[in-house]
Amino acid sequence: MRVDTMKRQIDLHAWVGIVSGLALFVAFFAGAINMFHHELHHWQEPWRTSEANDTSMQALLDTVIARNPEAGNWMFLIPGDEPAAIWQETVDGDAVWHTEHASDFNDAGEAIERPHSELAGFINELHFRLGIPVVGLYLMGVISVLYGAALIGGLVIHWPKLKKEFFALKHQGNLRRYWKNLHNLVGVISFPFHLIFAITGAAMGCFALLTLVFGALAFGPQFQGAATDAMEAWPTPEASGNAATMAPVDRYLATAREQLPELEVGWLELQQYGDENAVVDVGGSVPGNVAHHAHVVMRADNAELLTVSAPGARPFNHFLLSPVYSLHFGDYGGLFVRLLYFVLGLLGCLLFVSGNIMWSERRTDRQGPSRAAAIMLRLTLGVTFGVMAGIAVSFMANKLAMYSPWPGTTVVAEKAAFVATLLVAVLSAFRVPPLTTARLWLPLCGGLYVLVPLLQGAIEGFASWLDPDRLLVNGALLAIAASLFLVDRLRAGRLRQAAPHPLWVGGIRPDATGPAEAGVA
Amino acid sequence: MRALLGGVLGLPLAAMLCGLLAVVIPVDWHDWLVLMMLLCLVFWAALIVLAGVASSHWRAGLTLLVANGLAWLLLQTTTLYGGA
Repeated sequence: MRVDTMKRQIDLHAWVGIVSGLALFVAFFAGAINMFHHELHHWQEPWRTSEANDTSMQALLDTVIARNPEAGNWMFLIPGDEPAAIWQETVDGDAVWHTEHASDFNDAGEAIERPHSELAGFINELHFRLGIPVVGLYLMGVISVLYGAALIGGLVIHWPKLKKEFFALKHQGNLRRYWKNLHNLVGVISFPFHLIFAITGAAMGCFALLTLVFGALAFGPQFQGAATDAMEAWPTPEASGNAATMAPVDRYLATAREQLPELEVGWLELQQYGDENAVVDVGGSVPGNVAHHAHVVMRADNAELLTVSAPGARPFNHFLLSPVYSLHFGDYGGLFVRLLYFVLGLLGCLLFVSGNIMWSERRTDRQGPSRAAAIMLRLTLGVTFGVMAGIAVSFMANKLAMYSPWPGTTVVAEKAAFVATLLVAVLSAFRVPPLTTARLWLPLCGGLYVLVPLLQGAIEGFASWLDPDRLLVNGALLAIAASLFLVDRLRAGRLRQAAPHPLWVGGIRPDATGPAEAGVA
Repeated sequence: MRALLGGVLGLPLAAMLCGLLAVVIPVDWHDWLVLMMLLCLVFWAALIVLAGVASSHWRAGLTLLVANGLAWLLLQTTTLYGGA
């Protein structure tokens, strides 16, 4: 490849990385924790030694429908220790989703006041839409495409020297070279994983945008309907207006088991429940397949089978759509794959942070003191430490608020704690030199992630640590703490070997930084 | 700037290229619609990269505009838009 073309490839890789790096850091860090989303749902609730059983799913359905007749238009029933009903209500033309659990009601079907948390949902929102309502999903979709472009560029840049770079994590005296080698090594090791995330993340974030563009430019207005048909297991039914008696939930499950004995039921989707056109989709997983999603669709009034979509027996569109989700969520290979995704997710965070740091230092080295580079470095450190510390503080706020005299403030406390910590970290990063920020916030973040399990144990009793869900979440938090302490140790070790890059000790204004020489540190 | 041009003008071009692919391939596009949408994303990312390595902003922008126009004209010669 010509030298100037290679230079433009490197510039493109750097710019696209800079534009999308911080958003991807947030998505990857929250995504790594989100690998334990199911367990986190249990972690966030007050510790109870006795759990509800799933025989109350019918009771939950009846109760929710009795209290909100509109809930049957579109509802998901989630089986498990504590069955949940997630249903949609239309308020002033806008769709509003509600979640209710079996334990939210007493035997008479009356709502019970109890502390409520949205910690798992908040972490999930940070992951897929940066916590930004509505446009956040589309923003992440576009960022995923840019991420894909950065990956293609990265492959073009590194392919010729791939083997060499695999063994090139050198320490000798040059900090910028060290960051570069670390970035390249992590990028090369986890390239397939990142490619999966770029494509599946873009697919999930951009499907609505693509439908719009395809419809406008290539296929016409019918594309919207065609896309919906291609992705749904069964067309959305229209209400007839004629009420009908519905079959019990157990019959839906029995029909699903009859069709797919190996199906692990993950949810029941009910549409137009109570109407003679009502349809139930018993969805879940057939273990042993990457594309493991399966659906058994039936009439809701008599549980008569309508269609089955399962591995080995489904249309080509479903065959492709299922791995888009399973490869993204890592839910196809049990705990081992989830742990692998967790580790690769954290490594991805390192990739984005090191990319931003490299860009800042490279710009300073090439163009001299740069306000943009100083701001980018500080912003990177502020957001990075703010998000990490913010999530840990949010976890602590959950337990502190839940067991305080004001448990009703838990949801607000979780989000407020995150936002406040993030703001403090960003402001702090702009107030003090970056080297001080790194020296203070790295061990602080590590300490916070040690403190969360300790606080949870102190409040709920250390016997609760033996609960498998709490054990997994606490273990993940301690693993994050350990990785942060390791990075801090590497940072301290590097400083003992070489002086820091001038950008790390200077101010934001260009005249506050002395001229930097390439590879000075 | 070049990558931005690729981002903005690359999406419609990628979608129209997929439309042309749907015309050329003798399989009903409804049957491989998800693959087409995934391909569109890959084309879009590749176009951002191609625009990014162009020698100038003008060349990147002009090439993408011309390619968009050509793809649109080609699509008009087919019965794809509004077809069943």
